[in-house]
Order: sequence, then structure tokens, then C-alpha cells
Amino acid sequence: MKSKVWLWIVIAVVVIGAGVLVLNKKPAEVAKTTEVAGFNPDIFVYAGSGDAETLEPSRAYDTASSEIIYQCYDNLVAYKPGSLSEFIPMLATEVPSVENGLISKDGRTYTIPIRKGVKFHNGAELTPEDVEYSFERNMLADPVGGPVWMLIEPLLGASTIEDYACELAGVDDFSKVNAANLLKTAQAVMKAVEVKGDNVVFHLAQPYPPFLSILARNSSWTVILNKQWMIEQGDWDGKAETWTQWHNLDTEKQTLFEQAMGTGPYKLVEWDRSNSKHTLEAFADYWQGPAAIKTVIINNSVTEFNTRKLMLQKGEADAIYVPVENSPQIEGMSGVNLLRGLPRLSNVCAIFNQNINATDNEFVGSGKLDGNGIPADFFSDLNIRKAFSYAFDYEAFIKEVVLGEASVPYGVIPAGLNGFFDEKGFRYSYDPEKAEEYFKKAFNGEVWEKGFKVSLIWNIPNTTRKTACEILAAGIEAINPKFKVEVQGMEWATMLPRRREGRLPMVFIGWLADYADPHNFVYPYLHSKGDLITFTGENGRALAAKEFDPLVNAGINELNPEKRVEIYTKLQKKSLELAPHLMLYDSCDRVAMKDYVKGYVFDPICPAQYDFYALSKTKE
Amino acid sequence: MLSYILRRLLFLPVVLFGITILIFMLISTLGPWTRVATFVPSPDAERHVDLEAMIKKYHLDDPPVKMYLRWVNNLLHGNLGWSQSSHMTVTEAIRRRFPATLELTLFSVIPVIIGGIILGVISAVHHNKPIDHTTRIMAIALWSLPDFVLGLAVLMVGFGVLGWFPPGRLSSWAQLEVLKESFRSFTGMYTLDALLNLRLDIFWDALRHIIAPVITLSCLWWAFMLRITRSSMLDVLNQDYVRTARAKGLAEAVVIKKHALSNALIPVTTVAGNMLLGLMGGVVIVETVFNYSGLGLLTSTAATRLDVPCVVGVAIFYATILVLVNLVVDVLYSIIDPRVRLE
Repeated sequence: MKSKVWLWIVIAVVVIGAGVLVLNKKPAEVAKTTEVAGFNPDIFVYAGSGDAETLEPSRAYDTASSEIIYQCYDNLVAYKPGSLSEFIPMLATEVPSVENGLISKDGRTYTIPIRKGVKFHNGAELTPEDVEYSFERNMLADPVGGPVWMLIEPLLGASTIEDYACELAGVDDFSKVNAANLLKTAQAVMKAVEVKGDNVVFHLAQPYPPFLSILARNSSWTVILNKQWMIEQGDWDGKAETWTQWHNLDTEKQTLFEQAMGTGPYKLVEWDRSNSKHTLEAFADYWQGPAAIKTVIINNSVTEFNTRKLMLQKGEADAIYVPVENSPQIEGMSGVNLLRGLPRLSNVCAIFNQNINATDNEFVGSGKLDGNGIPADFFSDLNIRKAFSYAFDYEAFIKEVVLGEASVPYGVIPAGLNGFFDEKGFRYSYDPEKAEEYFKKAFNGEVWEKGFKVSLIWNIPNTTRKTACEILAAGIEAINPKFKVEVQGMEWATMLPRRREGRLPMVFIGWLADYADPHNFVYPYLHSKGDLITFTGENGRALAAKEFDPLVNAGINELNPEKRVEIYTKLQKKSLELAPHLMLYDSCDRVAMKDYVKGYVFDPICPAQYDFYALSKTKE
Repeated sequence: MLSYILRRLLFLPVVLFGITILIFMLISTLGPWTRVATFVPSPDAERHVDLEAMIKKYHLDDPPVKMYLRWVNNLLHGNLGWSQSSHMTVTEAIRRRFPATLELTLFSVIPVIIGGIILGVISAVHHNKPIDHTTRIMAIALWSLPDFVLGLAVLMVGFGVLGWFPPGRLSSWAQLEVLKESFRSFTGMYTLDALLNLRLDIFWDALRHIIAPVITLSCLWWAFMLRITRSSMLDVLNQDYVRTARAKGLAEAVVIKKHALSNALIPVTTVAGNMLLGLMGGVVIVETVFNYSGLGLLTSTAATRLDVPCVVGVAIFYATILVLVNLVVDVLYSIIDPRVRLE
């Protein structure tokens, strides 16, 4: 029996000892931690979920990646705070315009004077050659799936460097392009971006009004790299003959995959990929003066919201990512500022597939208009598309599901770009009577008489889209008991092949702006070669080619801003009238940070949640 | 015994071979278009990704046999492939994540085994007395609690209310210290590395972070250990030889410690081995709640993103550990119970 007593004593001693040590240790630690009592103005911790894919500017195309690139590099120009069409100089000393002669009258030559005395993180000074190299290198690297098409389109008039080379050589496959044409391709790239004295000159293949938006800060693909350092790291040597060695490399083989060397306000100390954590340190020689916050830790591994919430509450994190459904849990938390309903340049839609692949397709039932399915060309009938558009309860969705953080779309261009179109146009609303009217007209009344059955597919775990599907389904089923709409969730990997084969009757998808210009929305949504219009099938593309292509092309070739507004207003209206997509909502964002964080300004196009350079931590 | 151990170790490659065949058979049911999804993190990110090119580049449309042979060939060269979901090679991902998991396992296993066995023995010895009932009720209550509920409760109290046990593995100041060149990383386990670097402040910080997940895991597994020990102990205590021992007039403590306990521990050893395996494979929910990036999180992310090389790599790694731990358990049998001979 004695031994039992001893064991208890040992346990008690261990437990009490550990407790005492932890408690005793605490006051000594407080000074070092970021806990409330040990408030540290030098360290900023952001807790998010979902890590960056790569830090390589020619490949990074997701917000988590851009967030880091944004802090470490500078662009030539930046958006003027509060504006999406005016710019301020950054690494350029002047914003080019037709008035100051830096943009040629035909809109095809941009001359950009480069700032002097700017230092890279390794101490080297910025030269116009660095700028030239950055653009040429990214265009030639052009990894598949990357964002560099945004440079190749205005500068070379092609969509990828491989397409350009193939066109030059007159072949259909890049592997067949001969050495002479490969050389010519590189020479064309090198001719498009040139150094002239202290300036860098861009020669565009065609006038391209959004070109400055593409150069502007927030575009991680146009940040300025350090030529010398890049070559030392084994990247492209700047010669026209060698570029294919660095073209389309695997993500992990690219030089800047996990390192950064820019002129930006923060240096990258480490990307700890196993913990999804980025550590940034203020760059003392930053040309605009060093940042107030000395160390930034971006911790993207906190997938559980409750953990993030507690971290914010206890001051372990200064800012956290809050999904839309969780904002009520942060609202009113003491010592925390929650900014809601910030209009992002993004929207969500449901694309009508006008040529469904109906062979052995469980989503279209019988595949016939017999009340137990839908025919392949069901959505080719405009009446059906309109009826669906009237059957979605926009207001209920916005109020109940995204808690007011969204708005009813005016068309394919989101509300955040309202400077580019007339904001008083037509919008769809939930109107069962109108929906009924159009359903009765569809297929000469056959739809109304026989009914139909269709499945709507949402991607797990996106429950917002699930609810959108359910609201649409409920709206349609309420109109006629013969209408049956099933809602089905699917893992992305399962969904992908079905989507590619054109089996999904409707494709639920969102689009986030690459740059702040309506062209970035009308092209993918409406142009017959756009990424999103592809999902409408052959009939949809034919419709787009006939109805939308001329207007989309007119918009991008027009240099007069007022005339562009006219064109985009027309496109907005037409995109709802012909309804190739059911535009569900224009989305909003929110940020949550401690109230001692000062200097936050919302930027609708900023890929980064935070511009840490602008922030400081001060307690009154 | 040595020859037994050697023989078991020689069996390891055979087990691994079987496992790889099984996994590849399962994977071969997925088409190339399903597998290529791993390169597109979300349905909205498809954009310009040339999936046809990806399939061609990574040979995703090869027949399974060809894929398997290529994979084995790479494996023999020490290359488990590239993990798309964790942005590094599979070997690197396991090498970086495993220390975290191992640290958590080592810290949890001690309180679980010692606490569970002690409580189990006490419970059995005081069969049907108040202390037995109390521990049993506690055990059932803890065992029935879902891990995310207990985890969140521990986090809320330990961090939210008391502010003692923050999530993550280190505080931000300690992270910056660990990043410095003066801090050498020996094992990847922060508590041990801190001690080896003679940095008591970092050691305490790492300890503070590991306590909450350890408490959660301990509570969950405690109950399990306790119940096994208790029933096995009760069984032994009712046997004739124990009665004989008591009849001989031996002290109760000697009867329990010398005669009963070592026999009662045999089933416990098996269970403990399994528990160790479970912990080493990573505990997804606890790791998620406490933002503790170990193998569990790695595997679950890889699985949801269909990151085939990573899933296969972790499976191989886990299988190796499984064989080794089972071997250790068998050896332990022979030490605990002299009747067991390893031939």
C-alpha cells in the first residue's frame, strides 16, 4: 500500500512543479511574447489558412503567393490610394501619360523613367537594365499556368510565348519550332522592352488601355528583379540564344520558388514550408524609408477558425483571416476592429452549359425533355436562361448566406469597378412570375407541360455555393411541381474530369480580377476565346462570337475613357439580356485586426490582405 | 533473440512491397483527369492551367504497371517524388514533419502509459469501491468525448481563459530565435533542440505550447489504457496462483507488483504499441485545433488534394514504423513474460 501513496506523491509533485514553473516563467517571458501584457510594436503576426504555392513572380497566381511577393518587391507604378484608374510613381519617377509625352499618341509606346538610388536587399543599386531583364525574363520563362500572358498579350499580341513562337515558325507544336525561330522569338521579346538612357521603353503590339494597371503594384508578375543576382543564382543569362533552358520550368526548379530579392520594404527571412509560415524582416535601406513594423510573421497554417479567433483575442495574432460565415463571432469582440463588406474585384456566377455532354450523364436524367431529364441543348433556349435568372432569390442569398457582404450584379463586371460603367442599369431580381412567363415560352411550351429534371453540382467544401444551389433549386421547384432540381456535392478531384468533359449542366465558379480593368472580366466571361465562356459549350461560344466579341474588342482598342464607359455599359446590359451566365453576386471581403493596428487602408485590387509597410502598432 | 529480430527485419521489404502494390491498385482506379486535379488547388484556379500538358509532363495517363515501375525505380534512388500539396519533396516533407509528431508522441506516451497503468491497477485492486467507480466513470466520459470537442475545450480554457498554453509550436519571439544561425537544429524537436542549445527560455516556450495537445491526447488515451489495464488486472487477480501467493502470506504489495502486474501487462503492451503507432501516424484533429503541423495534417491535406506521391510516401513511411514498433512490442513480451520465447 505504501507504493500507492508514493506514486500519488510523485504525481502531485510533478503536476504542481510543472504548474509552478509555467506560472513562474510567465512574468519573465511576457516582455518577449506578443501577449497583451507584453505588447510588442515591432512584431506583427498574421494568422491565415492556406499557404502560398510559390514565390516565383512568373508563376505565382494565387493570393497567398502574391501576398508575400507584394511585401518583398516594388513595381514601376502604384494605384493612387482610393482610385482604380489613376496612378502614382513607384520605381518609375513619373507616371506615363499621353499628356506628358511618355505614352505615344497611338498608345503603343510607353517610356518609363527609372528612379535612381534605389537599393535591392543585397545592397545593389537598381538600374534600368534590371527593369528590362525582369520583364524579358518573365515573358520568356512563361511557365504553363502562370500569369505572364498579361504581358505577352499587350507586348507580343499572343497569349503565350509558345503560341508566339509557333505562329512565327508556322507550326502547331512548340517542340517543332526550329532554332532560328526560337532565336527570333527571344529577339522579339528583347525588342519589345528596351533600355534607352535612364528610361525603359515598352513597345506594344497593339494599343492596350489597361497596360498601366498591369504594371501597377499588386501585379506580382511585373515586380522588378535583380538581374545580376538572378544570373548568379543560375537563372537566365540575358542572352537570346539560351532562353529555352529556363522556359516553362517545374515550379520547384524556378529560381525564385522559395527566395526573394527585390527592392521592397521587407526582406524574406524564411518560408518555412513545413509549417506554412513566412518570416519577413523590414529592409533598413528601403528607398521610401524603413517600415515601422520590424518583423512580420505570416502564419498560413491555422486552418481552424476557433484557434485563429482565440489567437486574435489573446493578442497572439494581430490580424486573422475571417471567412464570411464567421464574422458574427468577431463582431463586437473588444479590442478588435472588424471591417466588413469591403468590395473586392470579384464575382461568382453559374454558367449555363448550352451543349451538355449527355451520353451516360447522371446529371441530366433521361437526357430528353420528358419530365425526367433535360436535353443536351436545354440551356441554348434563352427563355430557360432568363427563367433561371429570375428564379434565384438574390436578396435572400445575400442577406442570409453571405450576411450582407455582397451585392446584386449589374452584369459580368463587378460593382467594385463601377467607375468603368454606368451604374444605373438593369439588374435581375427574384421574380417567380417572370420566371414562370419565360418557362412557359421555353421550347414552345413543352418545358412547362412536361417538366424537367436536372442536377446542380457544387464543390465540397464550399458550402456558400451549396446554399446558392439550394436557393436556386427551391426557386425553380416552387414554380411548377413538374420541375425537379437536385443539388449534389462533389470533391474537386471528382468534379474536374466531369467539368472538362462538359457533363455539368451548370458550372458554379468565381472570378477574381488580375488587374483593375473591365477587360479582365468581359474577356473571360464574354469573349468567345475566354476562359469562362468555354464552359457554355459550342452554342455559347458561337453566341459570344456573334454578340460579344466585337464589343469586347472595341473596348480594349478604345483609348478614350468616356467611350470605354459607353462600351462597357453596353456589355453589362447585354450580358444580362443574353444571359450566358447566371451572375449570382459581386463578392466582398473583410479584415479583422487588433485595434492598436494603425494605418490600414482597404485596397480593392490588392492581392495582399495587408500592406504591412503602411501599418504600425500603437497603443494610446 | 538476435536471429529473430534479424529475420523480422528481413521481412520488412516484403511487407513494404505488398503495401505499395495495394496502394497502386487503389490509385489505378483514378483516371488521369482526377489525378491532375492536384495541380489546381481550387475549382476557381483552373484558369490558364494547361491540364493536357500537365498530364503529359507527369505521365499521368501511363498504365498503372508502368507508373509503378517508374515509382519503384525512383524509390530505389531515394526519391519519393514531389508533394504538390506541401510544396516540397515527399522525403523532405516527412523529414520536417515527423519530428513534430514524434515530439508530441513522446510527450503524450509517458503520461498515458504511466497514468493509465497506475489508475488501472488502482481501480482493479479496489474493485467495486468508490475509487474504482470514479475512475471508471471518468474513463467512459473521456473516452466518449469527440477529440475536437475536448481539444477546443482545452484550448479555450488553457489559452482563452488562462492564457497559459498558446496554440502553435513556438511563440513568435522564439521562432525568430530558432531561425537565427546561432541556434542549431539537431532533431527538429524544439524542446530537445532548445536543451541541446542550452536555451532554457526556448525550452519553456516549446513546452508551454506542447502541453495543451498533450493534455488532450492523454485524456483521450488515458481512458483506453485504464480500461485495458483494469480488466486485465482483474482477470489476473482472480487466478489461482495469486490466491496461492496471498495464502502464502505474502504482502499485498508484493502480490500485486511481483505476481499479478507483470502478467496483466501483456495485453497492455500490445495496446500501448498500437497506441504509439496511432500517435506517430499523426493525429489530424488535435493537430488542426492546436495548429501543430505534424504528419497527421500533412497526410490529411495530401489526401484531400489527391497528392498521390505524398500519400504513398507517408504510407510507406508509416508501414516501416508499424513493422518496427510491432517488433519492439514482441521483444518487450519476452522481457515482461519469461514464458514467451522468441525463436
